[in-house]
Amino acid sequence: MADPGDCLNVDGSRAFHVSPPREVPPNTEFHLVHVRPLMHRFHPALPPNPLWGYNGQIPGPTFVARSGTPQLVRFVNDLPELDPVQIGLPILAVHRHGGFQAPEDDGYPLDTFCTGQSRDYYFPNSPAGQLRQNCHSTNWYHDHAIDITAQNVYRGLSGFYLHFNAFDTGNETDPAPALGLPSGQYDVGLVIQDRQFDANGFSVYDSFDHNGFLGDKFLVNGLIQPFMQVARRKYRLRLLNGSNARFYDLTLSNGRPFVVIGTDSCLLERPIQVSNFRIGPGERVEVIVDFTGTALGERIHLVNRLEQTNSRKPDSVVSPGTPLLQFRVNRDARDFSRIPDVLVPVTQGPRELLPQVQIQRTFKFGRSNGGWVINGEFFDENRIQADPRRGTPEIWHFESGGGWTHPVHLHLCDMFILARDGQRPPLIERGRKDMVNVGASYGSASVLVKFDYEFSEGPGRYAFHCHTTEHEDHRMMGQFEVI
Amino acid sequence: MNPRFFWSPLAAILGVPDRVAEIRDRSLPNVPLVTHEGRKVQFYDDLVKGRVVAINFMYTRCTGVCLPSTTHIAQVQKDLDEQISKQVTFLSISLDGEKDTPERLNEFAKRHGAGPRWTFLTGKDSDIELLRRKLGAYERDPKVDADRSQHAALVIMGNEPEGRWQAISALVHPIRIRQAIERTVLPPSKWATGLAVVNEVPFERSPASFKLVQPVDLSRIPPLTP
Repeated sequence: MADPGDCLNVDGSRAFHVSPPREVPPNTEFHLVHVRPLMHRFHPALPPNPLWGYNGQIPGPTFVARSGTPQLVRFVNDLPELDPVQIGLPILAVHRHGGFQAPEDDGYPLDTFCTGQSRDYYFPNSPAGQLRQNCHSTNWYHDHAIDITAQNVYRGLSGFYLHFNAFDTGNETDPAPALGLPSGQYDVGLVIQDRQFDANGFSVYDSFDHNGFLGDKFLVNGLIQPFMQVARRKYRLRLLNGSNARFYDLTLSNGRPFVVIGTDSCLLERPIQVSNFRIGPGERVEVIVDFTGTALGERIHLVNRLEQTNSRKPDSVVSPGTPLLQFRVNRDARDFSRIPDVLVPVTQGPRELLPQVQIQRTFKFGRSNGGWVINGEFFDENRIQADPRRGTPEIWHFESGGGWTHPVHLHLCDMFILARDGQRPPLIERGRKDMVNVGASYGSASVLVKFDYEFSEGPGRYAFHCHTTEHEDHRMMGQFEVI
Repeated sequence: MNPRFFWSPLAAILGVPDRVAEIRDRSLPNVPLVTHEGRKVQFYDDLVKGRVVAINFMYTRCTGVCLPSTTHIAQVQKDLDEQISKQVTFLSISLDGEKDTPERLNEFAKRHGAGPRWTFLTGKDSDIELLRRKLGAYERDPKVDADRSQHAALVIMGNEPEGRWQAISALVHPIRIRQAIERTVLPPSKWATGLAVVNEVPFERSPASFKLVQPVDLSRIPPLTP
């Protein structure tokens, strides 16, 4: 378990560092991030809004990691102790969502650091079990502090954390066995979020909405319905739903398909062509969009067709929907990129692992007297819900009641979804996942989990929780200890 | 010193609205209520303004969650450090204005060892209903919402002058409620976090979850071939 994260020492003094010094491998990269207030314009017609950002940026700076090169990131909390906005609190815990890291580097909600303090996070960046199928592609990082995650993320604390490796090299001109996916300026992270504004154009949040806060304005990378100039060629778009409680169903206004190449942290075994896809809070979907054959000057929208009027569940698909982002085709560009038939072969999948499974566990995400529970219990910091053995596969069943949809997130795990209400899951859910939406409009889920992370010290305790961040803050969270 | 003295001018310089006023106007209606001591009060002006509050909804005839909730709050009231507890006002609002007279509430308060900083409140149904809605202690499902026995067992905690509002279930371990109230009173720079906070409640393997560990039943898993 992690070190004491108290903002004050026992003698009342305050240390700059809350992490002790540590030894890291000589090839470790060091990064320094200041968490700072900034004035941000969501839209030219709106006044600057006082937000918080990693390095004062919205979204935060994009980390790029190479497999085998660890990173040590020092986050410094430069947020003011006194804040006029009253959304969020200047106490931080950074979670690299989807990443595999030691418990003390996982952003456990009570491992916090305060104004004037810093905390180091060590990210090994090597695939679990050194298996190629466990290589990561798109993680993200966001705040995870106790009771206040929803507001701190809403205030601006999220960013992308990308990974490359010997196959997904980040250079489309590399010959096979490199995958040759669109790279450089043609590889773009897009985080979708929703916000509410008051009549004067200032972002508002309702801390009495304990059920999940929805906005009615849509942001892509911190801007309301922006545009992006594109060339007539293929793009790799890494879509992230960074909203607190909203689900989206995305499509392209010109009727062209998406080629899905990855879900959550990992690339798929094979690309899938779809006309639309759903993305719940915390989920990532990586797609290739091909603008070849479009007309110069053409405008194409990324459209959300999923209506959601309260945080209970998404409603129905509507037409024509709401444009989130406009692609403006403005040039030609050479395209060396490829979409290979096989992206990442699964060598340790359900076929290999199912015969080894001995036990199953069941987790019911429910509501009880105005609160959010897992198996009837609220999160307690010192209670564990499961004790899976390292390297031993298990089946976990997730269920939800009362007509709510819960986006369930497992730390330290890329699961395989085996079943949806007893049926094979849709194609797009057969890749690796660290999120699984459960309940209304998705159904129950049975997933295969296996925890391969090698701990340098003892067993580790990790969280799993609903990623509707208000539910999470209301203790719809559990813990498992890998033994 | 009241941090508002700093904030209001700071907010004015930045041009952002006064969120404390906004929260008051949106979520803290100034409805008339009567205390268990028979005193007539206005919810915002007399009970919330300028204070740290911990609010829950209950009624004396309740046979469900009110009892554990009230027991937990009584425990928290006892356990809070003197320095903290003198800054906190506990408010228990009855959902049964008709039956819960001040006398009845007074008897209930005594029975649960309510101290001087714990006030039980009753009032007109429509006023209580407004409070319940505004504070977010209601159900999205109208059927569940209409069933008083399933009412929200939340402790809604607010540091009114700082505009900080949180809620925690009243059914969690009383130590967790106490810790959350301490966090509501103290500025984040003084919060206790880390292992000491975790370990204050003894370690437990969830009885509910471990009861559901079973030998695998692969018949629930559809064949992998398409």
